[in-house]
Amino acid sequence: MEVHKVNYEVNATPTLQILTEDEIEAIYFSSLRVLEETGVRCYNPEGVDILHAHGAHVEDKNLVKVPSWMVERARSTLPKKVTVVGMPDKDGKRKYRMDLVKNSAYWGTGSDTPYTIDPYTLKRRRSTYQDVKNLAIIAEALPNIDFFMSLGITQDTAVGTYDRWQYLAMLEGTNKPINITAVDVEGLRDQLEMAYIRLGGKEEWKKAPAFSLYIEPVSPLSHDPIVIGKLLFCCDNDIPFVYTPCPQAGATAPCTLAGVLVQALTESLFGIVLSQLRKPGAQVIIGGLLSQMDMQTTVMAYGSPEMALLSAAYTDITKWLMVPMYNTSGCSDAKMFDEQAAMEATLNTFIAGLIGGNMIHDVGYIESGLTSSPDMLVACDEIIGMVKRFLQGIPVTRETVPLETIDQVGPGGHYLGTDHTLRHFKTEFWKPVLMDRLDWDRWVKAGSKPMRERVHQRVLEILQAEREPLFDEKMYKELRRICELADERHKGEEMGIGIV
Amino acid sequence: MSKILEQLATAIIEGDIDNTPKLVQKALDEGLEPLSILNDGMVMGMNEVGRRFKAGEMFVPEVLMSAEAMQAGLKILRPLLVSSGAKLLGKVIMATVQGDLHDIGKNLVGMMCEGAGFEVIDLGFDVPAERIVQAVKEHKPDIVGLSALLTTTMRQMAYTIKALEEAGLRDKVKVMVGGAPVDAEFAKKIGADGYGSNAAAGAELAKKLVGAA
Ligand code: B12
Repeated sequence: MEVHKVNYEVNATPTLQILTEDEIEAIYFSSLRVLEETGVRCYNPEGVDILHAHGAHVEDKNLVKVPSWMVERARSTLPKKVTVVGMPDKDGKRKYRMDLVKNSAYWGTGSDTPYTIDPYTLKRRRSTYQDVKNLAIIAEALPNIDFFMSLGITQDTAVGTYDRWQYLAMLEGTNKPINITAVDVEGLRDQLEMAYIRLGGKEEWKKAPAFSLYIEPVSPLSHDPIVIGKLLFCCDNDIPFVYTPCPQAGATAPCTLAGVLVQALTESLFGIVLSQLRKPGAQVIIGGLLSQMDMQTTVMAYGSPEMALLSAAYTDITKWLMVPMYNTSGCSDAKMFDEQAAMEATLNTFIAGLIGGNMIHDVGYIESGLTSSPDMLVACDEIIGMVKRFLQGIPVTRETVPLETIDQVGPGGHYLGTDHTLRHFKTEFWKPVLMDRLDWDRWVKAGSKPMRERVHQRVLEILQAEREPLFDEKMYKELRRICELADERHKGEEMGIGIV
Repeated sequence: MSKILEQLATAIIEGDIDNTPKLVQKALDEGLEPLSILNDGMVMGMNEVGRRFKAGEMFVPEVLMSAEAMQAGLKILRPLLVSSGAKLLGKVIMATVQGDLHDIGKNLVGMMCEGAGFEVIDLGFDVPAERIVQAVKEHKPDIVGLSALLTTTMRQMAYTIKALEEAGLRDKVKVMVGGAPVDAEFAKKIGADGYGSNAAAGAELAKKLVGAA
């Protein structure tokens, strides 16, 4: 290629930046100070012992003060990239893969909503095993969904061992990487056992983990004993984990967004330090659901512009720290998949994409994380599609600036038949699946359907499509056996007050 | 309404923690009845706070300041009211049940109850049924308010109600429940006396349960 330009800068993708490096450093050093001077409560004695033995100061039994050098040292062994690979298809290949690293974006659902919108009656009701499976099937079918979290709590299974059943429901529906929740360490161990079975052995897990675990510090600045138990188990068993808080500005965190960032970072840094002491190289993802308490309704806002802004700012911090980010988008405070849901999801999905990732969860949430919606999930797939197109930006090259073609067509001609158009029209434009671009007459002939109906139709199409089970009956029985054994062990605790 | 009572109502509305007790003392010095100071001054103010909150003219932090002012005034009034035999709203024990760490909702319900004039004892989060039973024996509350944010901990509410029954205390207290996955149907199923979907509704419910609304 001829060189006509020098010092020429290229913008391969659009960029968004909320915080400057100076601001990031100011937040980071503030967090270090909180960790060192205010300290955090760690209610897990084993965790306290580990930290104490390696230089942290412990007061009042469980108030742990972590000096900055411990954070700096932990950062030196912290992986910059976390990879999670899904389950094998019939051909044995694990084709879904997430490389969670700076500036890579993967979208997935959120987990554990008590309610869901029934795909057939469109009524809000408590979620069941079948719902979780259905939502996983939908996620499997959607090209822009990269990982799955249980969009619904299984409430028609035993209460205290729901996590195993929920994992089974997810495995039945999708081979994509999963971010699980666990009742306790025992629940986590059972699910790991199920993953080994599904993978065909522990060795496959060693090649790449097939799930990550979702756990959380308790804002403000507290760490629960069971949660820390799970964290340590993850370190010992090569399970990546997400250690992210849900601080609510003005309620469980300072009212200012910068204050929320400092507190959230302090909470996650604690998890980073403990994990790297337990096992250098333990795989941690930080980030969270950072938002505010709505001061009129007391609801934690999932669709607010502040939520999107905080997630983006925090992503700037995680990029600087070089640690994978757990971002939030595709969620809303609306009570159904309606105009509000679409507006909020579009904004937060766009921002999450622009800022650059990494593991972007909560797609499909409505009612502030209390209800999952199949329609919302399918609509968000389309939103993500649009955002991904936007993220490809505008390459400016000899090929994309077709001076010869412009010269050929000249003033007053058209480009429909040019080689250049033929070469590019298939790849240059994003192709909508659900967005309507019909002319009026054709739209009327197609039934005058508003977006809401088209989205819902797609949900039903996916659910009604023929599909092969992802694994055979023998495998299903083996997996189910783990769930049943757990039920057996916890039989006495159920009390017969099932919710559904 | 006398001037001092009006000032008191205003102090409550403004969440003036310093001035409220001073005004209560001044009203007492002027010879007003404790019950009148409470009902015609402070409660008037709190009712207005409730109205403004519902109308979206006041917000949670302001309402909580008003609740604190209310408690600051009650600190002086309560012993006087008790010795005069006046019927107070009573005591509420609040707890997030065992296994559950979500506490901000429970805190809000407690604070709103304080604003309504209840005395509130907060047992914190992750509270086992036995501790609640113990606290009921010790504090003799009128109401026990239970919070659960997880489908997995909702059943702890049922355990707690059962434990109260077994301790022979169930007919001595009203039990109200709440938290995001809880609903009225579940409350009924486990034999609770009421369900509230938010903090303000919780305080209203508490008043209803003691026959004050
Ligand atoms: C913040 C939050 C957390 C924080 C809590 C920090 C804290 N200091 O409280 C942390 C990070 C610790 C947390 C942890 C977990 N959480 Co959480 N959390 C939330 C979230 C996002 C908001 C809750 C909240 O604070 N809302 C704001 C407050 C003010 O509202 P509220 O609590 O509902 O209270 C109001 C009313 O309900 C009512 N009310 C409440 N109590 C009472 C009591 C009475 C008597 C009355 C009358 C009224 C009443 O009045 C309150 C004020 O208006 C919810 C989602 C949601 N939208 O609810 C998930 C949610 C409740 N959590 C969930 C989950 C899954 C978890 C974890 C299991 C995650 C994990 N894998 O580790 C852990 C469990 C830890 C544990 N053992 O408890 C699920 C619940 C799933 C389920 N099984 O039902 C939810 C729904 C989110 C989701 N879809 O995943 N969580």
